[in-house]
Amino acid sequence: MFTRMVKRAGRQHRTVFVFLVLALALTLPLDQVSSLARTQETSEEVAQGMSLSGRLLDTLGEPVHDAEVAALEECRVEPVTHTASQSNGSFLLDLPSGTYRALTIKVSRPHFQPLEWQLSEAELDQLNTSGSLRLPDIELERRITPGFWVATLSFVLILALIALERLHKTTAALLGAALVLGVSLVGGTINPNLFVYDFEEALGYVDFDVIFLVMGMMIVIGVIEETGIFQWTAYQAYRLSRGKLWLLVTILMAITAIASALLDNVTTMLLMAPITIQIALTVGINPLALLLPEVLASNVGGISTLIGTPTNILIGSYADLGFNDFLVNLTPGVVAALIVLTIYVILRYRKPYAEAGGRLSDAMRERLRQGGRITDPEKLRKAGVIFGIMLVLFVMGDAIHLDPAVTAIMGAVAMLIWVTPDIEEMLKVVDWTTLVFFIALFMAVGALEEVGLISMIATAIGNLVGDNLTAAILVVVSSAAVLSGVIDNIPFTATMLPVVGYLTRTIPGAESDVLWYALSIGAAMGGNSTLIGASPNLVTAGISERAGYRVTYIEFLKIGLPAATITVIVGTVWLFIRF
Amino acid sequence: MKKILCATRGGEASRKTQDAVIAMAKKEGATICFLYVVDVEFLKLTARGVRADVVTTEMEHMGEFLLALACERAAEQGVEAEMCLRHGPLVEALESAARAEGVDAIAFGRPAGPDSSFSLADLERLTAQIEKDTGVKTYIV
Repeated sequence: MFTRMVKRAGRQHRTVFVFLVLALALTLPLDQVSSLARTQETSEEVAQGMSLSGRLLDTLGEPVHDAEVAALEECRVEPVTHTASQSNGSFLLDLPSGTYRALTIKVSRPHFQPLEWQLSEAELDQLNTSGSLRLPDIELERRITPGFWVATLSFVLILALIALERLHKTTAALLGAALVLGVSLVGGTINPNLFVYDFEEALGYVDFDVIFLVMGMMIVIGVIEETGIFQWTAYQAYRLSRGKLWLLVTILMAITAIASALLDNVTTMLLMAPITIQIALTVGINPLALLLPEVLASNVGGISTLIGTPTNILIGSYADLGFNDFLVNLTPGVVAALIVLTIYVILRYRKPYAEAGGRLSDAMRERLRQGGRITDPEKLRKAGVIFGIMLVLFVMGDAIHLDPAVTAIMGAVAMLIWVTPDIEEMLKVVDWTTLVFFIALFMAVGALEEVGLISMIATAIGNLVGDNLTAAILVVVSSAAVLSGVIDNIPFTATMLPVVGYLTRTIPGAESDVLWYALSIGAAMGGNSTLIGASPNLVTAGISERAGYRVTYIEFLKIGLPAATITVIVGTVWLFIRF
Repeated sequence: MKKILCATRGGEASRKTQDAVIAMAKKEGATICFLYVVDVEFLKLTARGVRADVVTTEMEHMGEFLLALACERAAEQGVEAEMCLRHGPLVEALESAARAEGVDAIAFGRPAGPDSSFSLADLERLTAQIEKDTGVKTYIV
């Protein structure tokens, strides 16, 4: 009996062991598993021969992967051995046993200068004596190839097509990515210097955290927006202000800023603008005197959280900044900027606010009240509970290692199960064109990284600011603010991510992540300066025009540029105080 | 003339057109059908995910509000007016409303200035086309 028990216990242990191994295998990412396997193979091979290892870096200190590394003996054309560098830039050359009198390492990769590394006598001695040698990090210089121009011109084409509105953003980004891939794969077989990346490498540049966070939030917002909460809050602002226009605009700006921070600034303006126009006509004022302050507040308010703007989502994912990081490091600055912005708006519109007048009939007031009611209280209650839990999870995410993208997807699933179980209806709220836009954009920016344009920009900015963190903050904020006013801030921010990443690594003091917040402030607040600077500006102008109140480029510039300038200044001052 | 169709919005230029059409209806003893066209083409200006159905509903509310304002203005002048809401491109919506409402005339506001969406020449070409398509007399007021 004892023997049977021992055997049973043994079987149980084996079963547990098998499960543990399986669990471990599932826990480990595939590349780690394969790298473990490689390490084992390598150890066996090294036991039979000699090895030479090292790491390839570009001039920014970034690993260079997929470079061809070959070892050549003196007077021989064929390499002794060759390999390709791994994703972390490392390489391991397995050399046949023997004594080497001269050895040269040849490194080649598209878009980099070919490099030959002659082993010194001391290095050869160590290799011959111990059988292995670890070379110091090898730096590869970039070079401009035809592929560089393909990637760069494709990206310029994307920006131009978007700016000139010749193609939809998604089509433009897809065209750019397809051009690079097409030329790379077809042209690359004719001229290797045209090769930029293959499809697998291109997909490697797609940040799926961003894709899933955006998709999850689309579903969550899609449910919340049909409850009438935006319209209800706007109507409450009208009711509470009791005809005081300065109070009305203050409350409307606060509502817009908070809604933009927690949900999305485009959705906020799309739903706030129609009711705001009705409120403005009810109180007898030009709707632009309320709409433009709202849109300015919307762009500023969105910066305060990770999920408030697409630029913050991009920055947060790339720089591994959590929801709390934005709350702690940006929200106080955003609140200060909003206070200053509100004062500016009240002063700017003091005359029309003072002259507002005219009473509408009771029937029209009733119509306004009807427009500002909660349309589906039950749905709002359920969606509110889920969104509240999501906010708690966003805040706790850092502590419990829960990615914002996972929280967003969990929230979306909860909405599917509890609020709107019709999956077909729910999936309609996901804007696939936006998600494809992000995917194509990541691939296009990835091409710029591959060919070295990003490195050049980073090096140029690095040379300009040196080790001066203050100068770096000012350069990042101001360039982001100015360029966001004239080009779409999403492609701009996506391009700047590796640049700011380099500056954060190399400038003393920048490890505090201050430059990421500088990019966030510049990219989003700068969007206030022009009509085309941010999506909320354009959709608000579209709604306003449908109501008979046209917003011209100049008219927007007159209020937007000073607003952008003062809010960027306040935001920058906050960064200097905080960091 | 029994019924005049007038596409309207809510701005200063629209109010001038409304006043002119109200005066015209009063003189002719006609009623007015104020038309607001819901068009969410501007959503193409953003690549961000938005619910066109929800935005359309809000634009309808806004349109009804603007139409109700126009009808009140007419009522104050002793002219009977009704509201009409359509979706899609302006010209198609106008022609469809003209046929459905059985109007005798379609009134257009004169371009207000350089900021106007139409030049006078463009508007004249447009009214001629609509007149040809619908057989309804058009006026620029």
